[in-house]
Amino acid sequence: MAEELVIQGSALGKQFGENVIAVEDANFTIPRGSFISLVGPSGCGKSTLLRLISGLIEKSGGDLLVRNAEVVGPRSDIGMMFQKAVLLDWRTSIENVLLPDEIRGTIDTDAKKRAWDHLQLVGLKDFEFSFPRQLSGGMQQRVALARLLQTGADIMLLDEPFGALDEFTRERLNDELLRIVEGPDITTIFVTHNIQEAIYLADQVFVMTPRPGRIAAQIEIDLPTPRNIDMTTTPEFNDYVQQVRDVLAGHLDGQPL
Amino acid sequence: MSDIGSDGVLAGVKELSPIQKLAMHGLVFLIIFGGWEVGARLGYVNELILPAPTSIAYRLYEMFFVTGSIYWHYIITMYEATMGFIIGVSIGMGLAITAAISPVFRRYWAPYAVVFNVTPGIAVTPFIIAWFGFGWSSKIALAALVCFFPPFINTLTGLLHIDKDATELFRSLGSTKKQFFWKCQIPSALPIIIAGLKLAMTGALIGTIVAQFFSASEGVGILMQRFAFRLNMDGSFAALIVMSLMGLSLFTLMEYMDYKVLYWRRHSRMEEVGSKRKRKWLAENGDFSA
Ligand SMILES: Nc1ncnc2c1ncn2[C@@H]1O[C@H](COP(=O)(O)OP(=O)(O)OP(=O)(O)O)[C@@H](O)[C@H]1O
Ligand SMILES: [Mg+2]
Repeated sequence: MAEELVIQGSALGKQFGENVIAVEDANFTIPRGSFISLVGPSGCGKSTLLRLISGLIEKSGGDLLVRNAEVVGPRSDIGMMFQKAVLLDWRTSIENVLLPDEIRGTIDTDAKKRAWDHLQLVGLKDFEFSFPRQLSGGMQQRVALARLLQTGADIMLLDEPFGALDEFTRERLNDELLRIVEGPDITTIFVTHNIQEAIYLADQVFVMTPRPGRIAAQIEIDLPTPRNIDMTTTPEFNDYVQQVRDVLAGHLDGQPL
Repeated sequence: MSDIGSDGVLAGVKELSPIQKLAMHGLVFLIIFGGWEVGARLGYVNELILPAPTSIAYRLYEMFFVTGSIYWHYIITMYEATMGFIIGVSIGMGLAITAAISPVFRRYWAPYAVVFNVTPGIAVTPFIIAWFGFGWSSKIALAALVCFFPPFINTLTGLLHIDKDATELFRSLGSTKKQFFWKCQIPSALPIIIAGLKLAMTGALIGTIVAQFFSASEGVGILMQRFAFRLNMDGSFAALIVMSLMGLSLFTLMEYMDYKVLYWRRHSRMEEVGSKRKRKWLAENGDFSA
């Protein structure tokens, strides 16, 4: 079966003002159902690339296709999640999850039922009517994840979604995320600073390097799925970690800090 | 005030039992007012400068319960302050919303509001009296003028300082500007808007009373001045206390609004509102888990 490509970038670039080249000459194809990790040091253009794909900002050059159509603005098949949960404090969990339907005017019993189920799916049974300030940081991100699922988007752009959480919570949420997005339908791009995490989650790791922001390497991760935490100690896993390190080090050598 | 981190000025006060607290309050009250009373009665304090608390209390009693002379003044003053408040707040918030929506308006018109603010509103009183006359309208106008700025600047600040991620979230969901305004901007700005309203409330009362000092035939301000001119100090002080009572009742009203509207800033209120919404949801939709 020929792979269906959902996202294609060629010679894609984004420049801010006169001097800041946030993304330069990005060439990539992302097949449907894959999980891509985007890893690289701070300021290398990861968020910018994500926001280009989401249609929140305009490219300055090159081509960017989603489902073979030029990206011209936000689209309903793309959903986003940020480092902060970005919940509306005055709304309960379920009301926050229903926000996408409210905005699209698609609130009905079916939407409410789905919102309810999404909250159960992310492990928030009995917290449907809690307000964000009554929830821990991890639980808030779960609400944000449920809201993302509620959009029905099958392209998920996650910008360090669990980056502000403690190690334990982050590992758990990573595993739950994998469980939710596995299968041939949902395409995920996951931004992280953490090399291990990037490899553990992904089918493919894009390594980005700064000034100008470039995709320096695209590494296929050929580890068995479903992933499990024991794999992170295998020699294969460590080879991948080393490969990513080499790409970053090779680039950073001789660069002013 | 929110119970989230409300320690504030009370931090470090040792917890006492309720009875001990009551006793403490009583003791402090007694020291202040007992000392004052004794001082006045023994002639250490000239009654023409500072009348004894009991004389003031008696005068208050007379105003409220014997002659009932205070009610009309009270009502008039509250009416003027409230009308001024409503007008000032409407204009202030209206301009702020316009400025938040239109960058052009913000750039070219809003600076005048700032110039306007740094001019002490009270100093405009003579003009206000000249323009609006000696009746109610000049009091209302001054009250409106004095209380216009805090709601203006607070509303504008609140509407513009929206979390960048929230903006992107709404955009990525395909939200219209109107939806974003009502579902995100307004609720996010409510806490600071309400803080502005509290300031405006105090301002409205000050504006009204100052305008009454200048020229009025009725109102607590003019009442106080009449007493003072006649060197009737207990009467003046009684009028002052009536003003405090007004301030207190208006303040309480604002605190109540704060409590009701900003439920997501208080843990106890969140529980209350959360379970209310739960009951409503279950009544409307049934339990999806069942
Ligand atoms: N709106 C903007 N205007 C001007 N410059 C910007 C803007 N957004 C990003 N940049 C610049 O573009 C570069 C890439 O930023 P970006 O946020 O994409 O990095 P990042 O890889 O996501 O970093 P981090 O890991 O810290 O989130 C940075 O130099 C940043 O300062
Ligand atoms: Mg970023």
